[in-house]
Amino acid sequence: MRNFSSGFKNLVKSITLFTFFIFSLPTLVCAQTTAVDTSKAAASTVATAPSGDAAAGEALFKANCTSCHALNKRVLGPALAGVNNRHNEAWLIKWIKNSPAMVASGDKEAVKIYEEYNKAAMTPFPQFSDDDVKNILAYIKVEGDKGPVDKTDGPKLPPSADAGYSNYMIFGLIAVVIVAFLVILLLNKVIGTLERLLLKRDNAGITLLEDEQLDENHQPKDKLYIARKLVKNKKLVFFVVLCGVLTLGSFGWMDLWNTGVQTGYQPVQPIKFSHQLHAGTNQIKCQYCHSSAWKSKHASIPSANVCMNCHKYVQATEKYNGEISPEIKKIYAALDYNPETQKYGENTRPIEWIRIHNLPDLAYFNHSQHVKVAGIECEKCHGPIKEMAEVYQYSPLTMKWCINCHRVTEVNSKGNAYYDKVLAAHEKIKKGEKVTAAVLGGLECGKCHY
Amino acid sequence: MDSTKKYWKGLDERNNASEFVESNKHEFAEALPIEDVLEGAGLSAPTPRRDFLKTMGFGLGAVSLAACTVAPTKKSVPYLIKPEEVTSGIPNYYASSYKGASILVKTREGRPIKVEGNPACTINSGSLDAQAQASVLDLYDTAKLKSPLLNGVEHPWEDIDAYAKAGLNKAQAAGKTIAIVTSTVNSPSTKAVIAAFTAKYPATKHVAYDAISYSGIINANKNSFGKAVLPQYKFNNAKVIVSFGADFLGSWISPLQYTKQYVSNRNAASLKSKKMSRHIQFETGLSLTGTKADSRIALKPSEEGIALVNLYAELSGQATSAKLNNAIAEKAIKLVAKELSAAKGAALVVSGSNDEHTQSLVNAINSLLGSYGTTIDLDNPSYQYTGNEADFMALVTQMKAGSVGAVLFLDSNPAYNYCDCKGFKEALTKVATKISFSDKNDETASLCDAVAINHNYLEAWGDSNPVEGYYAITQPTINPVYNSRQAEESLLQWADNPVKDYYTFVKANWEATVLPLAGKTWADVLQAGFVSLPAKAITPITLSGDISATIATVISESKKMAAAVELHLYNSVALGDGKQGNNPFLQELPDGVSKVTWDNYAALNPKYAQKLGIAEFDLVTLKSDTYSIDLPVLFQPGQAHETVSVALGYGREKVGKVGDGVGKNAYPFLATNGAVTITKIEGYYELAQTQTHHSFEGRDIIREATFAEYLENPAHGSGNHGEKHKTYDLWQKFEQPGHNWVMAIDLNACTGCGACIVACNAENNVPVVGKDEVYRRREMHWIRIDRYYSYNEENKSITEEKEIDEIEGRMENVSVVHQPMMCQHCEHAPCETVCPVLATVHSSEGINHMAYNRCVGTRYCANNCPYKVRRFNWFNYWNDSRFDNYLNNEFTQLALNPDVTTRFRGVMEKCSMCVQRIQAGKLKAKIDKTTLKDGDVKMACQQTCPANAIIFGDANDPESEVSKALTDERVYYVLEELNVQPGVGYMTKITNTGSHEA
Repeated sequence: MRNFSSGFKNLVKSITLFTFFIFSLPTLVCAQTTAVDTSKAAASTVATAPSGDAAAGEALFKANCTSCHALNKRVLGPALAGVNNRHNEAWLIKWIKNSPAMVASGDKEAVKIYEEYNKAAMTPFPQFSDDDVKNILAYIKVEGDKGPVDKTDGPKLPPSADAGYSNYMIFGLIAVVIVAFLVILLLNKVIGTLERLLLKRDNAGITLLEDEQLDENHQPKDKLYIARKLVKNKKLVFFVVLCGVLTLGSFGWMDLWNTGVQTGYQPVQPIKFSHQLHAGTNQIKCQYCHSSAWKSKHASIPSANVCMNCHKYVQATEKYNGEISPEIKKIYAALDYNPETQKYGENTRPIEWIRIHNLPDLAYFNHSQHVKVAGIECEKCHGPIKEMAEVYQYSPLTMKWCINCHRVTEVNSKGNAYYDKVLAAHEKIKKGEKVTAAVLGGLECGKCHY
Repeated sequence: MDSTKKYWKGLDERNNASEFVESNKHEFAEALPIEDVLEGAGLSAPTPRRDFLKTMGFGLGAVSLAACTVAPTKKSVPYLIKPEEVTSGIPNYYASSYKGASILVKTREGRPIKVEGNPACTINSGSLDAQAQASVLDLYDTAKLKSPLLNGVEHPWEDIDAYAKAGLNKAQAAGKTIAIVTSTVNSPSTKAVIAAFTAKYPATKHVAYDAISYSGIINANKNSFGKAVLPQYKFNNAKVIVSFGADFLGSWISPLQYTKQYVSNRNAASLKSKKMSRHIQFETGLSLTGTKADSRIALKPSEEGIALVNLYAELSGQATSAKLNNAIAEKAIKLVAKELSAAKGAALVVSGSNDEHTQSLVNAINSLLGSYGTTIDLDNPSYQYTGNEADFMALVTQMKAGSVGAVLFLDSNPAYNYCDCKGFKEALTKVATKISFSDKNDETASLCDAVAINHNYLEAWGDSNPVEGYYAITQPTINPVYNSRQAEESLLQWADNPVKDYYTFVKANWEATVLPLAGKTWADVLQAGFVSLPAKAITPITLSGDISATIATVISESKKMAAAVELHLYNSVALGDGKQGNNPFLQELPDGVSKVTWDNYAALNPKYAQKLGIAEFDLVTLKSDTYSIDLPVLFQPGQAHETVSVALGYGREKVGKVGDGVGKNAYPFLATNGAVTITKIEGYYELAQTQTHHSFEGRDIIREATFAEYLENPAHGSGNHGEKHKTYDLWQKFEQPGHNWVMAIDLNACTGCGACIVACNAENNVPVVGKDEVYRRREMHWIRIDRYYSYNEENKSITEEKEIDEIEGRMENVSVVHQPMMCQHCEHAPCETVCPVLATVHSSEGINHMAYNRCVGTRYCANNCPYKVRRFNWFNYWNDSRFDNYLNNEFTQLALNPDVTTRFRGVMEKCSMCVQRIQAGKLKAKIDKTTLKDGDVKMACQQTCPANAIIFGDANDPESEVSKALTDERVYYVLEELNVQPGVGYMTKITNTGSHEA
């Protein structure tokens, strides 16, 4: 029995060590990956050693051409790799500077391209000098000769839904390990007790056993003695129990209050849409996309055709080495839109966004009342949306939160004939009082629950 | 309170039966078995403690586990390409038409959810009847077929087309008739399609017949004036209206139109100008129209003809040999003749009979009275019913003879509603090609080889021409839900017409015919919904032919009808001809008079039933020489002795889960002359009535006056005289600075038709609970129409004209008042003070709010409500398999109004004064930065009321219609003496007893 017990103790030790090792492992792996990445980056810099004309051309190309062209891919205009071989330089210079004129003059090649691309004329660039064009062509030649970029070298897809789950999994694993560890400790303890009981029976002498124990474990005896003494102090026990109950109770109470409150809820969306980029960097007004916020109860997620207003042209190819952004491709996939032919197909598939702001069905909320009538900024409830790469729930959306705002917010009645009469009647009763939403009945049940 | 009348809701109450008093002490019909649980097996069981602990432990564990789950992920799926006209959360309205009446269809995110009258429509001017209001549920009927059927199996349309074409060509080649059997077709485009079809198959014969036929009037007009049409009646021009069994406010021809006209001479405005029409009704059963009559005389069906002969004799001064065996009626006829001749040129006599001789006689009477051109318009006829059953009868004979090769049924169901349906079924077997255009496998469709399922009217293009000069368009408001095809499109397809698309056909037809006349474009019509051409000039008319032969026929026919017990068949106001039998809203709509739901019954006069030894709810067999049915008996005050009334439109067999087996089919009785025998059989069948659920304990809640009294003192009978008692308030006054929403209801206008109930159901997601639950007093209607019977008890001095009213003792002479009752939104609401959780509270706009999610279901409020208008959700009607047949299925729930929550089990609900409409109206005003004008917000009940009996508005606006209405002298508040300060004012009912010239 002793042997078994000591063996078990050894096992516990080794498991502890193993656990530590597991904890430290991810850090190590991370460090390694970073190292690899840096080395790769270094390698690629070496490979694209700059050459005189092409370097100047690169700047011009990126500034002026990438919105419609990629090197190895047809975007709005044709793929440009090999363009030097398809047309002579003089023709190209003329074309780039003013293609519509060439089409109008009836140049055969020009008309052919014009027809091929759905009669969409290329923007003329009269500001380019011949040298500029030559530089660009040089760049195209240098880069285009390299051939299409290897797919595997392309940018990694942004972490998708799986990443979210993996986080959960890591925490779950840790929790499992901890629980297992605790179970093992407990078992160890139980084994100890059982052993003592066995001994007790074997020796059949209580006094002897106690003596033996006292002899064997001097240290524990002292500790247990203090503990026993403390346990016998009823006032202390009462105090400790009270503290325990209070702590647990208050935690429980707080928890109950927060049941169903989803502040900070940030689900992984099917498309990595960034409000930071659209509303923040690009300064697109909220209601350009959420167009019904000012006239309906729903702000509504924009339909894909609204996305296409911009993303038919904006394809972020410059960020993905001439490829269309994989996220924008998801819009195309949903609409079954083929960017090559610019045609819509039949095989559409709606985008299933995850709803973040969930009001219960029993509460009626109307966006237009708040946005249009009250003139409240979207950020008031939705938080710093312009800084959110991924949207999360900023406000608690509890009734208390609604009510508090209704209590303090003054009614935006200026220039609104509807309120004139109502307020005039009101003045008679409550003189000089601040007219908040609450004063006009904004706290009544039936204003939101029906 | 100077009314000495006694009112009663049901016979139990009048007789003051002790059980009735006992059973009505309690708010709820059945006590909860709490005592049983506590005293009975509950606690003395062997191991209650352990079970209790186990259950508790399990419950705790389950709850904790359930609480651990993360909130479910909700998806939000936007449109890929949003239709330009759709903004989610904002309804779209489309102008369309239902049975010729122009309507607006409210759609949300592409689903039709409510039908409303088109305010510009000249027929209904914004109001609608119960059937049209309920029609939106027909679209979401689960009994509808999903695909066309061929020999009972689903087939693609190509197979149906091949079968139909082969059958039609075969019939054509064999020289046999191809019959298209329809109900009335007044759609110009459908007629054009049938013409195109006939051009391709010249053997085609179009036979139109109606379940409820008006061919008697059409034939009579042909005989009398050479015009085979249904006239338009102008009740608004009539000062004296005499009706012989025509229920023109409930079910006769065009009740919506007639109610509008009728009420225009009896509403508040008319009374203010000291004018009121007089209405005398002679009838067998108590109809909705009978309840509104100033004087009502019960007549046996066989006496109606004789009465008309006598009336003609009185008016024309000729003597007649026919004698009425009814002293009361005889006297009444004399008085009526006097009144009618006094009102020559502004009098109208109508008869509900479908016998052409009787109708010829009525024509003669109206001609004597100079009604043509004033109260009857033959030059602008009505095309609402043009069917002729004689044509159909001939067709059945032809079918039996085997000379019909193919028959197509469009919007007709003779296997159910033809009087000789047995003979018809037999004849049908002799037809080779049988095709039905029904949208479900109904009685006739199931006998056909092919069912080419038709669109619902909300999915279809179409048009109608219900009256001369009025054309309405029907446009689709949703894509076809199932694989159905418009019947007209099928006909065009089979006729190999170059135009296969019905939309193109309708448009071309309008552009060729109606639009040039009206000087409008197609787009105008789509927006307006209808075109109204100026009325044709009225040409003077003379009665042709000798009337004496007609009179002789009427007398001999009447004599044939006379029997020991005479059967009176009538058209139920709620279900009509039974076409919408699978509509739960209509099945649960209480009958306007008897308040019975979910059944038809044999109505007997209580005194007469006593004589026969029959008790109420006994089962009886009604037997004619060819047909018999078993029905429960209902005691109906006002019913003529020796008669029994049975409603048509019930007893469907293949209409769907809702309507199958509800009531008994009485159509086969139409083939008989009306003589039946009544035999009591074993069994007791209690009908589910809504009215007898509460007792009003004789309180003074109905107030009436006669027109004479009103002229003397407009406040007569309303209790508004002299000083009122000083009242004391326990509560502080509740300020209503913004709006103060109130209502005024004119009891003199309300006809009790029940359209408001269905409109409220559709607007507020009111659940349908079914017969069993209604029987347990658990109906959920937010608005009910209470019907109070009364008769005069005192022997007042009798003026000659008033004698008609003073005929008593046989339970025939009852008068009726209809009182719409919904939450009164009391200022000092008794419900609010007893709610332990403040789930029902008052708003600063005068509305009594109900927060469902706060309610814990103590039901104190319902107990404390003096008006008994609160409804308790005994079940989760929207998610409980027991209610699958009604509204608990995903398909039917598409009709729900998304702006109103569906209530959960265990909470109270009641009329919210359509708070969603008020909020929406206010928001619209705020967005537009304008003031909220009177009439911008309308209640669902108010909007649909054909009588304009309900007026809603802001009492803080002195110019509003409701403010003005509430200053009327007739206004009183129900149970005013409780000082609960209700927000709904009622106006006394005025009866024109005729002692003053109207």
